[in-house]
Amino acid sequence: MDKNRLVIGLPRAMLYYRYGTLWRTFFRELGMEAAVSDPTDREIMERGTALAIDEACLSLKIYLGHVAALAGQCDYVLVPRVSNFGFHRNMCTRFEALPDLVRSVFREQDVKILSYNVDELEKKSEKLAFLEMGLQLGCSLKAVHRAYKLAKKAELAEYKARVQKQEALYKQEGMKIMIAAHSYVAEDPCMGKTVVDYLKRSGAVPLRADITDRDGALKWSRELSPTCKWEINREILGGIAQHERDVDGIVLLSAFPCGPDAMVNELIARRVKDVPLLNLVLDSQSGTAGVETRLESFIDIIKFKEGKL
Amino acid sequence: MASGSKRNISFPRYAEYNCAFKYIVEQALEARYVMPPVLTRRTMELGTKYSPDFVCTPFKTILGSMIEALEAGADTLLMTHGLCRLGYYGELLEQILRDLGYQFDFINLSDYDMSKKKEMLQAVKRFNSKLHPARFLTQFMEGVRMVEYVDEITGEYYKNCGFDAAGGACRAVYQDFLTAMYTARDRADVEKGYREARRAMRAVPLNKPAQPLRVGIVGEFYTAMDAFSNLELEQKLADMGVEVHRWMNVTNQFLHYSGQKNMHVKVRDLCRYEMGPTSTANIWYARECAERRFDGLIHIKSASCTPEIDVMPVLQNISADYKIPVLYLTYDAQTSDVGLMTRLEAFYDMIDMRKKVI
Repeated sequence: MDKNRLVIGLPRAMLYYRYGTLWRTFFRELGMEAAVSDPTDREIMERGTALAIDEACLSLKIYLGHVAALAGQCDYVLVPRVSNFGFHRNMCTRFEALPDLVRSVFREQDVKILSYNVDELEKKSEKLAFLEMGLQLGCSLKAVHRAYKLAKKAELAEYKARVQKQEALYKQEGMKIMIAAHSYVAEDPCMGKTVVDYLKRSGAVPLRADITDRDGALKWSRELSPTCKWEINREILGGIAQHERDVDGIVLLSAFPCGPDAMVNELIARRVKDVPLLNLVLDSQSGTAGVETRLESFIDIIKFKEGKL
Repeated sequence: MASGSKRNISFPRYAEYNCAFKYIVEQALEARYVMPPVLTRRTMELGTKYSPDFVCTPFKTILGSMIEALEAGADTLLMTHGLCRLGYYGELLEQILRDLGYQFDFINLSDYDMSKKKEMLQAVKRFNSKLHPARFLTQFMEGVRMVEYVDEITGEYYKNCGFDAAGGACRAVYQDFLTAMYTARDRADVEKGYREARRAMRAVPLNKPAQPLRVGIVGEFYTAMDAFSNLELEQKLADMGVEVHRWMNVTNQFLHYSGQKNMHVKVRDLCRYEMGPTSTANIWYARECAERRFDGLIHIKSASCTPEIDVMPVLQNISADYKIPVLYLTYDAQTSDVGLMTRLEAFYDMIDMRKKVI
């Protein structure tokens, strides 16, 4: 490791699953090193749980565990504040609080926090936020500009490829089950990954509601819920509205006790009538047996309904 | 609703603000107001039964109150917009009530971008299409005035009622004041009720020590203010002989307040950004109480209130820095009176002992 290179720690939780490529490319292009924490395991989860307020959501507990794992391993830990992308395009208030929350929790430890602030209603765009962050790190405006441009390009290209891959899955044969979840729930090894893996093992094709053309999804979301104000939930709603006819069942997957999901999933259950739904709330349990039993019976119900059992 | 007839509008029970809602509906919107019944255990049972499990408790209270308002004859319900989950209450409330089979008109302010004057006017016009904006505004501001008075007198009441020498005089003044507000029909009634209450409140003989125990209340916007929802926490504290201070109310948060930005200056070292809709104010007031050497702080929130959970680590740091005890209370639909009383008594004993030692 080059001693003079700044090392930026990226906790592999929450928005990492959305912005990982953007962040890694951005820091790499600025000549810095991005250190990503290891995938979530029991130790990380337990460490985070001990640090968090009891009533906080599982996602936050895991996030704090990742920050703790990065402490001492890097110069800065990146904890962005992402408030909103415009009217009715908010993030959960937890993403507004995150940098200050982490700073308060790790006040006694030597954890330096790097942050950027996206708040379109206050005229702070993502681009502006990244430029400010780059300048704060001592890079030239030109270099930061270039790094952000490349990073954004890489992010969009990667996402486009994922959407294409996802669209192809809809055309596949077999039982298709859509997972409606935030990406950081669906992809975390201690949360949604067990669900995805189980579905694959039982021969179903797991699909993701949120991996869809984002602009289109925002428009589609209005069909299901005209006043939903959370960006990620709107993407999920949009994915469901667009594809509910193409799948055999939908799993509403959330981390206990996710604020937006508690309300939006209730609304989905009341408005999506033609597709079997499973509402699965994940807690920090050690075993997967409970989840597997529920998934198994859900698959049986779908088979029974389609006359295949 | 037949065309031409007046709407029967209702807004759920919220602390003692329903007198102002009533005034605004009757005077400014020129419609009828259906006062929802006082919140009771039944309200909570109704609300809890039909709500999703881990939604915040005010949602359950509001749903219960809306059902009771519909039972009482309301045909138009109003729900506000908001910056946290509150902004999504409207749509889900309406869906649940419709699924239950109720028929009503629902005006959801989340349908409109309330930062734009034009959309705000559109929303108001839905209550009464013949409304004259200028007249509406005048009457509306009088309703707002009533909110200010309610907050002022309520604040005074909880600061003093624990030291009422005769016992009950303070409470009687407060009850008379509320009755005056709930029955006010014009500006003169409002002003008269307020002036009389102020005068009477000052005349109540108090038996207050030179340095009474002072406790500051911070917390979530609904539960911290609504006496039913927080199981009359302020009254219980006052009855133990505590001066209760709460900054958080509609007046301070929305009316007198020049924006979180200026408040933020003083707490910048604790939080760099705004952490949630009421977070800056709560952090600011918590520190203010600590600096003014209050004897304790109580943080009130409903179960799973995201912004208030996120404020807690900051409050813990304030508590450590200023050596001020903080009692964290979470309210859900089942919270019983007895459990709260035990915790409050223990808290009181602790701050009382500290005061004698320090």
